Amino acid sequence: MSSRRKFLQTGVSAGVFLFDIVPARALGLQSQPAPSDTINLGHIGIGGRGRQFLRPEASLGQKIPAPLNLGGDGTRMQTAARSVALCDIDAQRLDEAATRVGGRPKTYRDFRRLLEDKDVDAVVIGSPDHWHALMTIMACQAGKDVYVEKPACNTIEEGRAMVNTAGRYGSVVQIGSQGRSQPAAYHAASYIRNGQLGRVSQVLCWHYASPQGDWTPDAEPPSGLDYDMWVGPARWLPYNARRTHGAFRWMIDFGGGQIRDRGAHVMSIANWIMDCDHTGPVSIDASGDPPSDGMYDSAVTMRVVYEFKNPDWTLVWAQPGEPSAEIEARYGAVYHGDKGRLTVTLGDGQNTATDQKVKDYRAPIDGVPVYRSPGHIEDFLDCIKTRAKPIMHMEAGHRVASLCILGNLSFQLRRKLEWDPVAERFKNDEEANRLLSRPGRGPWHL
Amino acid sequence: MPSKEQFLTDIRSDNVEQRFAAWRSAAEMEANIIPDLGKIAATASSPGVAKAAREAMQTLVNSLGKEPSPKRAEAVRELLALASGHAPVPLRGLAFRLLSLIAGEDSVPAIAKWLTHAELGEEAAFCLERIPGASAIQALTAAYRNVNDSFKPRILAALGHRRAAEAAPICVEAMRSPNRDIALAAAKAYARIGKKSAVAVRWPDPAPLPEWQKLEHADSLLRFADAQREEGNHAEAMRLYKQMLTRPEPHLQCAAVIGIARIGTGEAAAAIFPMLQSKNRRVRITAEKAWNGMARSAAAKA
Repeated sequence: MSSRRKFLQTGVSAGVFLFDIVPARALGLQSQPAPSDTINLGHIGIGGRGRQFLRPEASLGQKIPAPLNLGGDGTRMQTAARSVALCDIDAQRLDEAATRVGGRPKTYRDFRRLLEDKDVDAVVIGSPDHWHALMTIMACQAGKDVYVEKPACNTIEEGRAMVNTAGRYGSVVQIGSQGRSQPAAYHAASYIRNGQLGRVSQVLCWHYASPQGDWTPDAEPPSGLDYDMWVGPARWLPYNARRTHGAFRWMIDFGGGQIRDRGAHVMSIANWIMDCDHTGPVSIDASGDPPSDGMYDSAVTMRVVYEFKNPDWTLVWAQPGEPSAEIEARYGAVYHGDKGRLTVTLGDGQNTATDQKVKDYRAPIDGVPVYRSPGHIEDFLDCIKTRAKPIMHMEAGHRVASLCILGNLSFQLRRKLEWDPVAERFKNDEEANRLLSRPGRGPWHL
Repeated sequence: MPSKEQFLTDIRSDNVEQRFAAWRSAAEMEANIIPDLGKIAATASSPGVAKAAREAMQTLVNSLGKEPSPKRAEAVRELLALASGHAPVPLRGLAFRLLSLIAGEDSVPAIAKWLTHAELGEEAAFCLERIPGASAIQALTAAYRNVNDSFKPRILAALGHRRAAEAAPICVEAMRSPNRDIALAAAKAYARIGKKSAVAVRWPDPAPLPEWQKLEHADSLLRFADAQREEGNHAEAMRLYKQMLTRPEPHLQCAAVIGIARIGTGEAAAAIFPMLQSKNRRVRITAEKAWNGMARSAAAKA
């Protein structure tokens, strides 16, 4: 009997286990990935946003800079990855994506068939919001790592279920709030976390209002579109072109307005800078106006005040809000500290900006370290190999989506809500607690 | 507060802003406005007027949801009447959605009778799934025997979602169904409930299942193992995790390693140890992390 086996048996029978005697790495079991590994991607939802992640066959083996709109500083080359499988409920979009990729990608209409495909290592989910949670959970169940567009989920329950499932399988999940991977956001995080603004007591986000919408008659779905699958777990509504591709985000059932679309970028950076990826506010107070007419039902104008405790600070989402006096941009956030203020604009693309003095700042060697992402998709692909947590990991994504959801709930209920960020329940509000979940339709359940 | 007549006139107005001001103030109205709003929503030729009526109902209901009150009870009665009446199906569906926010246990029987309705069964299930308390679970459990086979998985999903321990026996029974969809839905619900049944459980045989359902089957076993671990039933959890360690799929091995590490005993360490030499990188790294986590935990205890 080998000494190792003897040791194991002795340890077990004694009821103790001397881990330090046989550390894994001491056994020479280094788990560094081979740099030549190519990651096979499957893409679910390849319309407007989803198609931007496609890796054409022709690009394989070439040195191509990682796309700047996904963050990074422009020095990183793309990790070897190829799009081997594509899925969309719209036949036309599927054909277009297959042409764009080139080669012979496998194509699917039902995402479950793509998830069954053993050639696929990881999936990129670019579906409408109401599908994010179930597709992510089911992808983890199928053994895939997941890059899913923001915001992570449509309900608090969905987000927690995503966290639990990713944790159960040890899946790598990156949420597509790529602002964290922008150099400007990194510099601002390093600057603020190292106390250069003093104690930050307020973060004021500004954005423009959502569209009012109009009336477009319902119609038969176009041929080639599997509309029942498009609706999936959400409430059934007749097909309407102004509620589906692209425009879904103005409907609470499928999206939820600017606070979810852009709030999931701007508030993602805020949560990261304020080191709140593990927690949430204790109260949420929203006001504003919904569309007075038309099909849409998400807020047109909106102001949401979130109060955080320990440390105490306030986050405000305002559409429209007070733009930064320092840097002109359509949206962003101003961080107010007792030693000054700082603007970080946008949060979703390559134009994210902040002050030059912040970019020039270098944290002291014993300062607070801040992780610097090589770019959002590259960070994800790196983590697939190392099994490390990506910069916008599942818990962070859930907490940011929670801000969006809580803001919309306070807006809908037209009252201030008291929130327990540990139990993830409202205090003294039965109706609000019922809205933490949204039972699924047909076969689609968490 | 405007008179009922004035309010309804404003809701029917051709003027968008007048309608908007009316529905935004609907919380001031009495609950007996609901039938009139339902009629407007069902019959208005203008989509804007129908929207104003629907939004007024939503606003009124949202204003009543925080805590029980006589006005809320009246609103529930009016919504039940609307849901059970002859209005178009989409409007009755809306009534069920609104009931899901404010209806209490006393409304459950009136809602549950719609579970067998071809067009409204889904909305009734949605509504019961949200209503807190044992009555909704009892109603769903009772309905299981009466609904069509095609709807049984939906009922089981609701019971699983509610983590209804009292529904575990019916899940155990349904797992034996020759209908694969029912048997698998029962397994999924049983796993989500996570309470070990007093009677012997026969999990569905995964062999004849399509690939996707095989994954759901494995996920259910893992969820159940996790629940058993959290309940302190480590022996049962370990048995299931070890079963997963023998599966060829790396992600199932990873899930087993993660679950076993959370048990944190010497037996757990012994089970993880061989996985440190796995040829699969994902499994190997997961095992290393699990191992190191257990080591840190053991050191902290020491």
